[in-house]
Amino acid sequence: MRDVTIIGAGMGSRWGKYSGSLIEMMAEASLSAIDDAGTDEIDAVFVANMGAGRINNQTALGSALIDYLNLFPAVGASIENGPASGATAARIGYMAIASGVHDVVMITGGEKMRVAPGPVVTDFVATMAHPEAEYIHGITFPSLGALLARLYFEKYGVTSEDLARIAIKNHQNGLKNPHAHIRQKITMEGILTSREAKLNNPMIADPLHLYDMCPVSDGSASIIMCSMNKVQEFEKTPIIKFAGTGQGMDTMAVHEREDPTFLKAVKIASDQAFKMAGLTREDIDFAEIHDAFEILELAELESAGFYERGKAHLSVREGETELTGKFPVNTSGGLKARGHPVGATGVAQLCELVWQLRGEAGERQIPNDPKHGYAVNFGGFGNNVVSTILSRVKG
Amino acid sequence: MSIHTPIAYKCLNCGKLHYPKHGRCLQCKHREFEEVPVSSEGTLITFTQLKAPPSGIESRSLFLGVIDLGDVRYTGQIEVESIDSLHSGMKLVATWKQVRTIDNRPIYGFVWGPP
Repeated sequence: MRDVTIIGAGMGSRWGKYSGSLIEMMAEASLSAIDDAGTDEIDAVFVANMGAGRINNQTALGSALIDYLNLFPAVGASIENGPASGATAARIGYMAIASGVHDVVMITGGEKMRVAPGPVVTDFVATMAHPEAEYIHGITFPSLGALLARLYFEKYGVTSEDLARIAIKNHQNGLKNPHAHIRQKITMEGILTSREAKLNNPMIADPLHLYDMCPVSDGSASIIMCSMNKVQEFEKTPIIKFAGTGQGMDTMAVHEREDPTFLKAVKIASDQAFKMAGLTREDIDFAEIHDAFEILELAELESAGFYERGKAHLSVREGETELTGKFPVNTSGGLKARGHPVGATGVAQLCELVWQLRGEAGERQIPNDPKHGYAVNFGGFGNNVVSTILSRVKG
Repeated sequence: MSIHTPIAYKCLNCGKLHYPKHGRCLQCKHREFEEVPVSSEGTLITFTQLKAPPSGIESRSLFLGVIDLGDVRYTGQIEVESIDSLHSGMKLVATWKQVRTIDNRPIYGFVWGPP
């Protein structure tokens, strides 16, 4: 197997509401990554997207993006794996290069979700749930987040204040990210403890408030992956190695899991990624965690092995996961502030890892020359999860 | 088997009960199952009041929960007036009702309520 690197990273214009077409939006991110890599000699394009066939009336996005950007003779395909589509496409890109089939692969994730009314988008996302055991009953992803949060509250003593603390941190980081959808400072008083908080931050799915969950976003992100033996041609430093990848599965219906508060697929995916990278949790300098709901930031950190079960909120209370803390989490603002255009999220997490490892993250750059970054991209409600580790290996 | 009784899918090899249906047993990978009735009374494990229901749900808010029937668990709607009426560990019983519409078609399932 050949080693694989990332030589380009780019995101489209600021996430949120995009006025052009889905392909135009994905082209912006792709061109940004191509310019960053300094090459358009791409062998294959994998496009990560969940729902364009349903909400944008467009399919075969790999073909469409190659055509629009004249990337011929590159070959392409669309990869759909729910909200984990982005990291899944990168994992497939890794396999294509490591196996020797391709040398240079572009991964572009994009989703244009703000074309439909809220209940329609909510229903579209809910189609990932089990069709008979969950979906038909009106289960939505916010409701699954709420069911998990209540278990966490009762089992581990996590509180609404703990979730708000994570949201405040991620908004604070998002303020420093020019790509972030939500660039708004929030305070504990404004969203939880003042009289106005009930208006500012209504209950959406008890015990989860509006600010305990990510927004619905348009957005795109792209990376260019290259074999290690070819990367010398591009004179890119530092070299960012695709050091580890793992994928784990769990039952589709959440109620079938023996302990729904433990995300087995996150553990499996993470263990694989760490084994492949030859690293331990202590080696990781920072992490991008799939916080579609702030309760997931805690549950994923624990299931990935960074904290003991039921203990992550205690470290959050100590400020450990803040930008200046011992273990910064979601330096990009996470899904909470950067936004969550589902197919783009996993790719954007890898962009953030690349920028932090290169020292190019601007105002949100973490100190002390980080060497290893971890990302988890959470598909379904935790039934299909991809973990990735990137490492700075030279320069 | 009446559709108005909660059921489980029993593996004909190892006896493991499943809900929902699988093509192969989650324990032994056997492919044959029989439908067996399970209790229509269970214990509430976790719950929420969803104030942003998806399209196809008429009401402005919805109570949802996970109910442990002993052998298997079900996820479904709960009929109560207020979230204050709900607490983990309470008993709920199943009734067969329309739960929503999909593409304007009525969809039926079990709705849970206090005995």
